[in-house]
Amino acid sequence: MPEDAIRLSVNGETREIHAPPHRLLLDALREDLGLTGSKRGCDDSSCGACAILADGVPILSCAALAVSCQDCEITTVEGLAGTESGPDSLDPAQQGFVECAGAQCGFCTPGFLVSTVALLRRNPNPSLDEIREALSSNLCRCTGYMQIYESVQYAAQKYLTRAPQQPIPRIEAADD
Amino acid sequence: MTDAHATPPAPSVIGNPAVILDARAKVAGRGSYTDDLSVPGMLIGRILHSPHAHARILSIDASRALALPGVAAVASGSDAPVPYGILPIGHDECVFAVDKARYIGDNVAAVAASSAEIAERALDLLRVEYEPLPAWFDPEQSMCAESHWIHQDRPRNIEKEYHHVFGDPEAGFGRADFLASERYFAGEVNHAAMEPHATLAIWDPDERLIVYSSTQVPYYLHRTLSEVCDMPMSRIRVIKPLVGSGFGGKSEVNPLEVAAAVLARKAKKPVKIVYTREEVFYAHRGRPRTIVDLKAGITREGKLSAVVARVVQDGGAYCGFGPVTVLYSGALLGAIYDIPNVRFDGYRVLTNKPACGAMRGHGTVNVRFAFEAMLDRLACDANLDPADVRRRNLLRAPCTTPNGLRVTSYGLPECIERVVEQSGWSQKRGKLPLGRGIGIACSHYVSGAANPIVRSKLPHTTVNLRIARDGAVTLYSGAADIGQGSDTMQIQIVAEVLGIRPARIKLVAADTELTPMDLGSYSSRVTFMVGNACLDAARKARSRIVEAAAARLNCPATALKAANEVISSERDANTCLSFAEAAALAIGSDEALVTQGVYAPPAEARGGDFKGAGVGPSPSYSYSTQTAEVTVDLETGHVRVDRIVAAHDCGKALNPPAVEGQIIGSVYMGFGQAMQEEMIWCDGRLMNPSLLEYRLPTTLENPHIKSIIVESLDPEGPFGAKEAGEGSLAATIPAIANAIYDAVGVRINSIPFSAEKVLAAIREKERRVPGAAPDGAK
Amino acid sequence: MIAAPFRVARPRSIEGAVRLLSDHGPQAMLIAGGTDLLPNLQMRLFSPGLLVDLKSVRQLSGVEYSREGGLRVGSTTTLSRLLEFPAIHSEFPVLAAAVRVVAGPLQRNMGTLGGNLCLETRCRWYNQSHFWRTALGGCLKKDGNICHVAPGGKFCWAAWSGDAAPALLALDAEIEIVGARGARRIPLREFYKNDGMDRIALARDEILTAIHVPPRMAGWTGTYRKLRVRDSIDYPLAGVAVALQLDAHGICRDARAALSAVNPAPRLVPEANESLAGERFSIELVERIAHAAIRTAKPLTTSASTPEYRREMVKLFTRRALEDAWRESPNSVQ
Repeated sequence: MPEDAIRLSVNGETREIHAPPHRLLLDALREDLGLTGSKRGCDDSSCGACAILADGVPILSCAALAVSCQDCEITTVEGLAGTESGPDSLDPAQQGFVECAGAQCGFCTPGFLVSTVALLRRNPNPSLDEIREALSSNLCRCTGYMQIYESVQYAAQKYLTRAPQQPIPRIEAADD
Repeated sequence: MTDAHATPPAPSVIGNPAVILDARAKVAGRGSYTDDLSVPGMLIGRILHSPHAHARILSIDASRALALPGVAAVASGSDAPVPYGILPIGHDECVFAVDKARYIGDNVAAVAASSAEIAERALDLLRVEYEPLPAWFDPEQSMCAESHWIHQDRPRNIEKEYHHVFGDPEAGFGRADFLASERYFAGEVNHAAMEPHATLAIWDPDERLIVYSSTQVPYYLHRTLSEVCDMPMSRIRVIKPLVGSGFGGKSEVNPLEVAAAVLARKAKKPVKIVYTREEVFYAHRGRPRTIVDLKAGITREGKLSAVVARVVQDGGAYCGFGPVTVLYSGALLGAIYDIPNVRFDGYRVLTNKPACGAMRGHGTVNVRFAFEAMLDRLACDANLDPADVRRRNLLRAPCTTPNGLRVTSYGLPECIERVVEQSGWSQKRGKLPLGRGIGIACSHYVSGAANPIVRSKLPHTTVNLRIARDGAVTLYSGAADIGQGSDTMQIQIVAEVLGIRPARIKLVAADTELTPMDLGSYSSRVTFMVGNACLDAARKARSRIVEAAAARLNCPATALKAANEVISSERDANTCLSFAEAAALAIGSDEALVTQGVYAPPAEARGGDFKGAGVGPSPSYSYSTQTAEVTVDLETGHVRVDRIVAAHDCGKALNPPAVEGQIIGSVYMGFGQAMQEEMIWCDGRLMNPSLLEYRLPTTLENPHIKSIIVESLDPEGPFGAKEAGEGSLAATIPAIANAIYDAVGVRINSIPFSAEKVLAAIREKERRVPGAAPDGAK
Repeated sequence: MIAAPFRVARPRSIEGAVRLLSDHGPQAMLIAGGTDLLPNLQMRLFSPGLLVDLKSVRQLSGVEYSREGGLRVGSTTTLSRLLEFPAIHSEFPVLAAAVRVVAGPLQRNMGTLGGNLCLETRCRWYNQSHFWRTALGGCLKKDGNICHVAPGGKFCWAAWSGDAAPALLALDAEIEIVGARGARRIPLREFYKNDGMDRIALARDEILTAIHVPPRMAGWTGTYRKLRVRDSIDYPLAGVAVALQLDAHGICRDARAALSAVNPAPRLVPEANESLAGERFSIELVERIAHAAIRTAKPLTTSASTPEYRREMVKLFTRRALEDAWRESPNSVQ
């Protein structure tokens, strides 16, 4: 292998890129592989917009070196669709963000989706507090988070039942 | 009646939830934002910023940078010496400082190179000789400066000052039974849109410029590029891809947009510049540090008798939207309550810091905080329920306020009632245990400015609607969707009027070569103004289609309705034509049916004629009332905001989930400013230019937010709609302040309400009233 | 913001990693989770020629616990993995409490326990971009000779800002270090030098390989309290860890308390042990320890919060942590 070849397994495909060893995984995905779904919102690993799954674990691709990720299976937001029920279908998490207005400008959405998918695989029926905890590395500037929680609950219900969607009860405080 | 498009549509598009247009692309990671674009041969641009807060630039030596392999162009002040600015009265900035740099982070030069690495290395090779000058950081000192003014034509560093008097404030105070006079302070905040600004400028071989940019104002960018690059607008094309929100931070031309264009022209190649998060804070244009000296009086019955406000805004080094910001802070004292006597003295002051500008709730937020906090205090002094005091000062709409603001619809009373009911206000206020409290506050905002930035009698927006022979509908609109869902709103309106499914309509948006002029996404103008233009265009098309159908069906046009993709008789559903059939008849031998819709605010909405009267008037105003419930830790001073109930009068919710998203998002942003966001300065140096240290709320401390839509049906809004995206922000901050008082009996007059400030106030109260505290509010 | 170019080595063994460090001398740096180092590299706080990636060394990751051997955590075990280990919660609650509040979940999925113990010290004049620091003219810690926190001083006050270290100090943890001259095991408290510029006693060719908590610490009650503005993502502005061993009558047999983010090192509160041993819970006792904690805390204006407030919170959090630890103990008799 030439000095600068980096072999990455992304969304089920093995891809080889030629980049210097200091290439961040985020830049490798965006610049070298054209997977621009993962976003850069900050420069100090504090916003979550670049989150991807590494062997199913959500991590910040801006705080990982591409060369160090050659041993793991990477899933980006582009790879979430089609895993559940067919190649072109959106994952229930993605459907949730569509149906429940969880995405406004959409820039933070890929990171939220990655955190959501990881949460629901680990905990298919999370409480509101568990959702808030699992998403607490992801910053959203548009939604004020409430419709994101609804999106996650929609997805959870869909994951659980794999059945036609029932209306989601609105999130209400205990005393509503 | 066969039609490929025909499936049963929803009975009504307006008022029913609509998924935003590009939601599926966004969740699939396929949405294209400016930084996602790349073109062959693209260079990367980087900007050199001033390390000095105020310094004359003596020389710039680019020779070493240009010698670096991979560097294609270096640009500095002499490459683009034409000053620009968003306001005609404020063309005071050049893309690269020409004579002097005016803040740490000011733009001095830029490099385009084949990679970001090389561009950054080239920046280190640029040699700039500076002569540091005395700098001004504190607005109250700056406005007394005798020399070293930041702009020579702005004596004592005052960008603008305004002095307005309506009624007789002194006489009003004479009638007051309770008076309060306080100084309030608000820290500086930044929009912190998740997408850092990005621009891709492409220099075409035939000497044309194509600019993709994360902008809220494609039209102003188009104009400014034309002026600065000295090129006719016809040779420049501005395209807005998806924008990762703006909140006002992208509502002026930002330096990178001009820098990319200048570099692209110089290098004759495409150049992309993406701001680092730190550069976003230097480009800034956020909400200024504000000092509000406020005096207000109420009668024993709780009626406001007079208000006097002196507002000083720490505007930073350039004009930007500054005069508008300070005018809004005065103008929007009115149009929410009935206040007969008002005096306003506003100062926009220049300092050697990044320029402030428009941010969600432009101009009104910090003064609204002061006013609503003071009203709470006066209510308590008068032993009245603060919600009741607000009820006793309502306007009687329709009306015109003393400062010339025309109120056409007024859902504030219902907002108050709904929030009082839903929050359990009456059971909670003054009755929660020590450390827990509830507070109430109101706010309002414009649905677009009635007067454009560049004064003219032209429409504020124009849309074109084209219906093809097969019934396909295309809407051409210059409006800039920045994530709020305005593209979806436009399609909803056209679909509703034409009685067709939204899926039949294609929107071509925000491309200056294809779409007609719209002023942009700022001052919450798009739903009202572009919505009305869409309504106009769609109605014109509808009447032509219905007339054509009437001729064919041998019935009067007035007897026909357009719904469910069908033009049919009101009486006999079998007398009908499909939409496409009727459209084809209306097109006749033309290529397509084309209509144009426009909107300009009516003359009577445009305000008075005193100096500064142009800012504040709007065709209509939104209203909001909120309660906040807090838990205060008496030993740490930490305030947890448990729950906010927010009712917002948006006139009519065209797309309810989108409206709720705007209300909740506004409350969230108000919460952030109230509790934890602040740009921290040390001698002109921003100490926290990052998302690690500039603390946007996370899911964990963000309160539970309940939104309530109130629909007052504005007579001039499209289907009664008015703004939803900004008005709720301003009520959140004072609602929290007032809740803190209810919880622990202290009034915090300074935003943000950090734990440290709250604890100091609790201690101070204990010191003043030993043993009695901290339960004064109970 | 782009890091200066560097090469990356991915050794498969500890010996291989040590050899790389020895061969490349001062130009080599270790990387584990990357959440602290990579942003710092992009800010050009360091410009190593070589990064030695410890994540490729499998034997450095893993958690073991037994009654006899105590707890052993491989240094590159991520904080999330550590939290999945049941004994952390049942036997070492102070550690669980501290690790749970490190940054946010995405950072904890990457950050390692060893990395958290080796964090760079933090200061608002230091953790800034290359441009920012150049405009400032640098500081004592990097590219300058003035301390902006304590002007005139020659000591760097950058604050130790980790959460796991105080908890592990309270658990009397030891660490395993492997270097070119062999392996050594030292108490964690000897690892920290209380100097903002030179924070840890780790030679250029050494690697922190594992963290041990002795078996006698199992079952100690304890908790960690963290001062921060946000409930996620933030580094601590102050942190207090407390661990107690109570007998069946609620009498304290042994106790330890440690602080973070208020000195250039995480610090044990020296008086905690002797003052608490043999005592029952009392307000006066707790107040005494809280005062001792304040004497240990020497925060300066290295972060957005003032030193006065942080000192006061150290006192309050010490009191609250002791109260909580006493209350939550199965043997608690208050």
